[in-house]
Amino acid sequence: MQPLLKIEHVSKSFGHVEALNDVGLEVYEGEILGLLGDNGAGKSTLIKILSGVYRPDQGQFNIDGQLVHLNDPSTAQKLGIATVYQDLSLVDTRPVAHNIFLGQEPRKYNIFLDQKKMERDALSILERLHIQLPSVSVDVEVLSGGQRQAVAIARAIAQGGRLLLLDEPWAALGVEQTQKVRQLMKELRTQGVAIILITHDLSEILQDTDRIAVLRQGRLIGSTESGQSSQHEIIGWITGAIKGEIRSSARLQ
Amino acid sequence: MIQKFIKHQNNWTLIGLLATLLILMVVFTISSPYFLTPKNFLNIGQAISIRGIIAIGLTMAMITGGLDLSIAAIAAAAGMIAAALINGKVDGNVAAMVGLLGAGVLGSINGVIIVRFRISPLIATLGTLLFFRGLAYVISGGNNIVIGVDTWSFLGRGFVFGIPVSLIFFIVLIILSYLFMRYTVIGNYIYAIGGNSQACRNAGIKVDRLRFITYIITAVLAGLGGLVLMSQSGTAVPIALSGAELDIIAAVVLGGISLSGGRGSLFGTFLGVLIIGIVNNGLILSEVQIYWQMVARGLILIVAVTLDSFRKGGGYR
Repeated sequence: MQPLLKIEHVSKSFGHVEALNDVGLEVYEGEILGLLGDNGAGKSTLIKILSGVYRPDQGQFNIDGQLVHLNDPSTAQKLGIATVYQDLSLVDTRPVAHNIFLGQEPRKYNIFLDQKKMERDALSILERLHIQLPSVSVDVEVLSGGQRQAVAIARAIAQGGRLLLLDEPWAALGVEQTQKVRQLMKELRTQGVAIILITHDLSEILQDTDRIAVLRQGRLIGSTESGQSSQHEIIGWITGAIKGEIRSSARLQ
Repeated sequence: MIQKFIKHQNNWTLIGLLATLLILMVVFTISSPYFLTPKNFLNIGQAISIRGIIAIGLTMAMITGGLDLSIAAIAAAAGMIAAALINGKVDGNVAAMVGLLGAGVLGSINGVIIVRFRISPLIATLGTLLFFRGLAYVISGGNNIVIGVDTWSFLGRGFVFGIPVSLIFFIVLIILSYLFMRYTVIGNYIYAIGGNSQACRNAGIKVDRLRFITYIITAVLAGLGGLVLMSQSGTAVPIALSGAELDIIAAVVLGGISLSGGRGSLFGTFLGVLIIGIVNNGLILSEVQIYWQMVARGLILIVAVTLDSFRKGGGYR
């Protein structure tokens, strides 16, 4: 089985600051990879490179075994890499359906919005992901934090996302809402979507992920199957208290 | 259907406006026997058509989160350009087209300053307000340009089936614009930009280009308003509509267009314009001193922005 995304030897410096140094990763379909590290470890830089916002100084990117160039955000998007931004990038004053298809609306006669089709498609995507919302025609601003997160994720999927980059998806959510987003992630996994999860919340990290990769000072210092590690070890890797080891670069079959 | 209408918070604004309209009509019907007559309604229609036409473009700019204080100055400049050409023996319709083109150029100046130089619309158009008004004076060396009430008078003084042409223009334009904003992809983007322009950029929408275009539409419609006024009075006046920009903004905000963008509709703008028109008309017919009209308009502006802040602050949420 070949990885959905494979990156090798990725480096990026900002002036004299080495943000990433020779980082390699693989992500498979239907897999949740936790990308961990302290502040400044290089997580954000790596995510911005994957979403096409930053150009790396060095590095190779393969999607489905094909060499690709992530030159800008729209290229990354077309290749199926969808970033769910921390601020969600939702338009609060517009309905759910309009947000899910923002920028890619179904059209009639090229200039008109095909509102019926848009609402139908939005509904079917929400159903497919088992997301429950009062209606696709309510404005996003009346939704709860977890529902908003779900809309942002539904948009990523609707727009062809096969690899989701989720940046602190429950940073602003309560306990119950966080559980709902966790459920949604698992649902996405069963549907074959790959997820790179960035989070500071280590409390359930072993349950949340299939694999974990730890960055420290711009280097990949540890990677492991989630089942072969412990929270204690992961925290040790992140802080540098325990020397990291590269146990697996890929999911065991 | 009705339940869905009531559930939507923006519709509360419209219900409030319709109720206000009804109350005003009852009050003025009681206070003046001339108010509730077909002739008076045509008067009101003609009176609101100029400001109404100008309000259409402004509504679009404001829905993107923008503002344009230079609308009245652009209207005056367009009227001056067209009148000068008409007196120079240019065909009236051609002169009008050149006037609209001139307005479009002024609008693109606003667009460049706001979109390219990233100046706040309030400050940018405060500057261009003076700049454009100055240009309107420069065209004639400060004089009025009289073309006479019989020259190119159809737009401002004509009637079709007993209805003023300017009112027909206003109604047709506002309906088309309403449909444009509601049913086209671009109209949808104009709303979305006002809601969250960064989200639109992330989604690949050409935010700057669309904002730029709204300032051109605003200016061209303002220019059309200026042409109607010039045609109606047979005279282009450099100081025309001075101060009306605030009235028009008040009407738009009263109609539920949020100052922060993203909300409201042209139906609301129509009601806002109509309410201000009816207040002005009703006060005159009720023989209230003219100065009270200014007081009334000031109060309306205050009420409008207060409602806007309630809507944002959670008053209706």
